[in-house]
Amino acid sequence: MAAHRLVVASLLLCCLAQICYGKVLFSSLKRTLDVTASPKQGQVLLSGVDKISGTWALNKTFPAGTDSSYKTIKLKLCYAHISQLDRAWRKTVDDLSKDKTCQHKMVAMPYDAANKTVHTFEWLIERDVPQATYFVRAYAFDANDVQVAYGQSTNANKSSNLFEINAISGRHASLDIASVCFSAFSVLSLGVFFYIEKRKGKSQKQ
Amino acid sequence: MADIEGSPGSSMHGVTGREQTFISSVASPMVPTDTTAKFALPVDSEHKSKVFKLFSLANPHMRTFHLSWISFFTCFVSTFAAAPLVPIIRDNLNLTKADVGNAGVASVSGSIFSRLTMGAVCDLLGPRYGCAFLIMLTAPTVFCMSFVEDAAGYIAVRFMIGFSLATFVSCQYWMSTMFNSKIIGLVNGTAAGWGNMGGGATQLIMPLVYELIRRCGATPFTAWRIAFFIPGWLHVIMGILVLTLGQDLPDGNLGALQKKGNVAKDKFTKVLWYAITNYRTWVFALLYGYSMGVELTTDNVIAEYFYDRFDLKLHTAGIIAASFGMANLVARPFGGYASDLAARLFGMRGRLWTLWILQTLGGVFCIWLGRANTLPIAVLSMILFSVGAQAACGATFGIIPFISRRSLGIISGLTGAGGNFGSGLTQLVFFSSSKFSTSTGLSLMGAMIVACTLPVTLVHFPQWGSMFFPPSKEISEEHYYTSEWNEDEVQKGLHQSSLKFAENSKSERGKRVASAATPPNTTPTH
Repeated sequence: MAAHRLVVASLLLCCLAQICYGKVLFSSLKRTLDVTASPKQGQVLLSGVDKISGTWALNKTFPAGTDSSYKTIKLKLCYAHISQLDRAWRKTVDDLSKDKTCQHKMVAMPYDAANKTVHTFEWLIERDVPQATYFVRAYAFDANDVQVAYGQSTNANKSSNLFEINAISGRHASLDIASVCFSAFSVLSLGVFFYIEKRKGKSQKQ
Repeated sequence: MADIEGSPGSSMHGVTGREQTFISSVASPMVPTDTTAKFALPVDSEHKSKVFKLFSLANPHMRTFHLSWISFFTCFVSTFAAAPLVPIIRDNLNLTKADVGNAGVASVSGSIFSRLTMGAVCDLLGPRYGCAFLIMLTAPTVFCMSFVEDAAGYIAVRFMIGFSLATFVSCQYWMSTMFNSKIIGLVNGTAAGWGNMGGGATQLIMPLVYELIRRCGATPFTAWRIAFFIPGWLHVIMGILVLTLGQDLPDGNLGALQKKGNVAKDKFTKVLWYAITNYRTWVFALLYGYSMGVELTTDNVIAEYFYDRFDLKLHTAGIIAASFGMANLVARPFGGYASDLAARLFGMRGRLWTLWILQTLGGVFCIWLGRANTLPIAVLSMILFSVGAQAACGATFGIIPFISRRSLGIISGLTGAGGNFGSGLTQLVFFSSSKFSTSTGLSLMGAMIVACTLPVTLVHFPQWGSMFFPPSKEISEEHYYTSEWNEDEVQKGLHQSSLKFAENSKSERGKRVASAATPPNTTPTH
């Protein structure tokens, strides 16, 4: 009897856990956060040099208690549609566990329901951010680190307030020089060996 | 066993005289040992080794083997070095899927042409210089990766690095100067398989090197460029080792090689004619495109596939991708062995069935790989696919030596080119467009493998039969191999080596050898 109860209890627990850790669909999230970002439409920023700043706040039109489960706000840099073309590794998928739209974490901040002011953030664009067109999105996470709401700096179609980031090339003068040196060494040493052996061959024949 | 005295096969017990044998040493009565020569290994009259001692570094034979296969391995490492790093490179260079796919096509296309030139270079300069020239002149192309800034540059550099795969030719050529023809099959097969492993090893090496460099403080977009110095240095090191430690001939003398007559005694145009007019050449070129070709394609796409589909870390995806290429260590020799075993029981028909079964199974597992939604199933299907495809490569070269005796060199070359062509084609069709996902591409490629393996059912050897038809009773091995020579040439007796080969190839009758007692004094009619 006790064993039977244990099985039922654990099954129930698993089901509840499944509800907690199950698939979260983006379409099920409400856009309760207002997010703004400093770059204007079409502005070009440099990675490693420029900063993205902005604000986020809970939209006051939502009833009180909407934000009761929010524990953390994470701001992410997301690809605009034009940068997702022909690049399946940046695809937008409704299932958030498979969604690849927002691959760059900017800032994470704790959420305090009592503090209703507008929060600001600032982030230096890291040097591993690729050349692309972006917008900013904020996800609200609950205590189990599951997304419960979002907000973004662009419209629902993801067509306004998009900005570009110019990436670093990754090239360095020192790398280029090293590359040329090793290449020259390779070709020269081949030539030298060949020449020496030809000369040895000739002198042996004599 | 054949008891009739002098009947063909009675004195040649165990010896088949074909290239792809899996014996590792030749006993003295068959090939006499030159006892005056002072080498670490027993040698024949040309001072070629009669024994294949894997773990020896004896100069010059085994040393040549190791230098040769490691050079080929190095070229595979550098040709496929970009593949596991594509997730980083595509962000740095702003590549689209088409760019990534085209670069993959470029990486295997270059060698189609360089392999053809390599044969001539080996004839002129010897295999040691052929290998050293290629490996040291392609080192700058590897270092060039640090300059690449866009898709065009990336594709161009991968194309140039791909030229280095012609070391395959110098590798096989060099071994044939060092090892007796009775064991050359195993030697060349082992060298080819171990060289191919480089495509797997690189998927392991490059992400690890990249991680290490990143931990030392470099940004990702710089770290991958620095990582390319490793294959570049390997090129230079191997080139220097080949030049300092290697020698062209067992006796060390390059000049003698040219006097001895590596100059073709046969007319090139004739040899080419008999190769291209034999339909079997084209069937096997197509088939090899769907065993070796898909292996090369998978080397290029699989790491990125696992990274994207299953959200793995770069080095985890690399480890999984590496196991695909590393299976070559045993899978390719296994294919050759299975082919030999089938030949012993069923003759050439067994070889054809073995090839069809292995390659079709490879295709089926490839379809499964594309459909797999969980990581364990994907890894399992990938490993089974790799064994199927690589064993099929080994089995293909169990049949190639029998297509023609006169044009064997060119047919092997055309088959190899077919492999690279198949790789380029599959990458272009299945992995360069955004119309369908990579997983769909894999399944479609698997379906194409199954379809393109069907032509093997059409291959018919009149003396041995085909998959569905028995041999014809009137045509013998001699008839088949002599048909490549015209009346004049036969009059001059140029066809003698083909006759000898025909004699030895009777082993492809399978268990019927003993009962094939032709009267010893019959000269085949032409």
